[in-house]
Amino acid sequence: MGQIADPTIDQTRKEDSRLGRRMIAPAAIVTAALVIYPLALGFKTSLQSGGATFGNEVRWVGLRNYADVLKTSKAFDAAVHSLEYVAMAVVLEIILGLGVAVVLHRVFRGRGVVLAILILPWALPSVVSGLLWRRVFDPDSGLLNAVLLRIHLIKEPHVWLAGEASARGFVTLVHVWGVLPLVSLIFVAALQSIPDEVYSASAVDGATPIRQFRYITLPLLRPAIAVALTVGTVLSIGIFDEIYVLNGTALNTRSVLMQVYNTTFVDADFAHGTALAFMLAGVTACIGGISVLFLRRSAT
Amino acid sequence: MRQSVLARTLRALAIVALVCWSLGPIVIGLITSLSSQSDIQAVPARWLPKDANLDAYRSLLSGTGANSRAGGTVTESGTFARAMINSATITFMSTIAVLAVSIMCAYAFTRLRFRMSSVVFWGVVSTMIVPVFAVVVTLFRLMADAHLIDTKIGLVAVFIATLTPLATWLFHNHIRDMPGEPEEAALIDGCTRWQAFTRVVVPQMRSGIAAVSAILMLAVWGEFLIPLLLSSTRNAKPVTVVITEFIGKYSTNYPLLAAAGMLALLPPAIVALALNRHIRGMLSGAT
Repeated sequence: MGQIADPTIDQTRKEDSRLGRRMIAPAAIVTAALVIYPLALGFKTSLQSGGATFGNEVRWVGLRNYADVLKTSKAFDAAVHSLEYVAMAVVLEIILGLGVAVVLHRVFRGRGVVLAILILPWALPSVVSGLLWRRVFDPDSGLLNAVLLRIHLIKEPHVWLAGEASARGFVTLVHVWGVLPLVSLIFVAALQSIPDEVYSASAVDGATPIRQFRYITLPLLRPAIAVALTVGTVLSIGIFDEIYVLNGTALNTRSVLMQVYNTTFVDADFAHGTALAFMLAGVTACIGGISVLFLRRSAT
Repeated sequence: MRQSVLARTLRALAIVALVCWSLGPIVIGLITSLSSQSDIQAVPARWLPKDANLDAYRSLLSGTGANSRAGGTVTESGTFARAMINSATITFMSTIAVLAVSIMCAYAFTRLRFRMSSVVFWGVVSTMIVPVFAVVVTLFRLMADAHLIDTKIGLVAVFIATLTPLATWLFHNHIRDMPGEPEEAALIDGCTRWQAFTRVVVPQMRSGIAAVSAILMLAVWGEFLIPLLLSSTRNAKPVTVVITEFIGKYSTNYPLLAAAGMLALLPPAIVALALNRHIRGMLSGAT
């Protein structure tokens, strides 16, 4: 109690709280109406039988849609492909990203220009990246075949995107081209936060650059690697655009999200499509959720 | 610390390789867009066009007046230009709206004290982990009921909802790291909280707003899945969707496709180059 009630402070508090509620309301309303509500409605659809599209009789079927989807071989294949995409993309992004960051860490003339150029592939729409790379992989007029024929590595033009491993490998390559700038910049920023004294001190003690990287840089980069891992996984698990542009909905490159698209909009099966989408979203949300919790802890 | 000649050479080579890797596909696209169909189909492949020309761009933009050089295929007049305008409109409207909504939300939570603020704020921010595809199927049905399919407003609404959480989070970090004194001074000088916000805090946030705007513009301009499902005619179709249709229609007309790619990448490339310092600053702050 002891304090003297100051009417103006009281007034300000009341004003602040009214203003605060008004300022936060638009964001709350928009996310509630266009994210949380559709999410709940979609979950309901995924628990009901087929008819949702055509207004047929709707029945509750529990988790049967989920079980059905898991049994289809197309969804299973797509899940395997997606795992391949994630594994290949994340490994490439972390290794190449670390390499790029180490090269760009040291100050040199034109570093700003190189950093600006580095960002470009990330800034382009992934549809356009796919379009640009199509010309490279084209079986008839593609540059890849032209080079390989010229140096006699292959005897006749190869249809790269029709194969199994080669097609998914090239899809991953195009995806990594677009994501690598982001991962590299995360590492460049993290390297900058390591004080130079650590290196000069260890150099005095006779540490070689390779040992410095192994015993100083890598351990200190652990948080950045965690962030890059999350970003890389979340982005590659939802891979769609690059595949759509390079190879359409062909079975050999189909990802889970592409299978969702096919089930829902080509086969017009909302219930099963939504069930598959929710399983994929569950995996993505777990990965994203862990990092949000991590961010929240570091925020408070 | 001096580097050996070998280390310096290796580093220089790595930098050259990095630049080639980043620019290579774009340069190939640029050259292709200036070529004619006969250059593309030449055996062995011709790397540089015999006589570079802008025919592909001309037939892309003017449509019916096109000539056979670009492969004889003709785009319906104005389809592509219309798609570019749609993309620009949707990007501009979404970015402005997300900025307004997320700056207010972030400021309210970070600087004002009121009941439930933290529940609502974290409620908004945590929807970041909901991937777009989990809601887009249901949104398609809701939009259809509301007759918002194939409208720019419908697309903008969806972009506001999907991008506000990320923008709010970035602005929260930005405001938290900003000195509070200018705002306090304005309050003592007799400004209301709202006046202090609009006249002092928002101008103080300039670099953060530049960075987040860039990220938002790139995200909206490049988005493909949402407009693929929620737009169906030239009313609302953005350039990403039209490009994929061109790929289906003119699959071997590489000059035309490359020209479309070049025009579609120009705005995001300009944004990225102009604001790359801000974008990098925001990235290093976020990790």
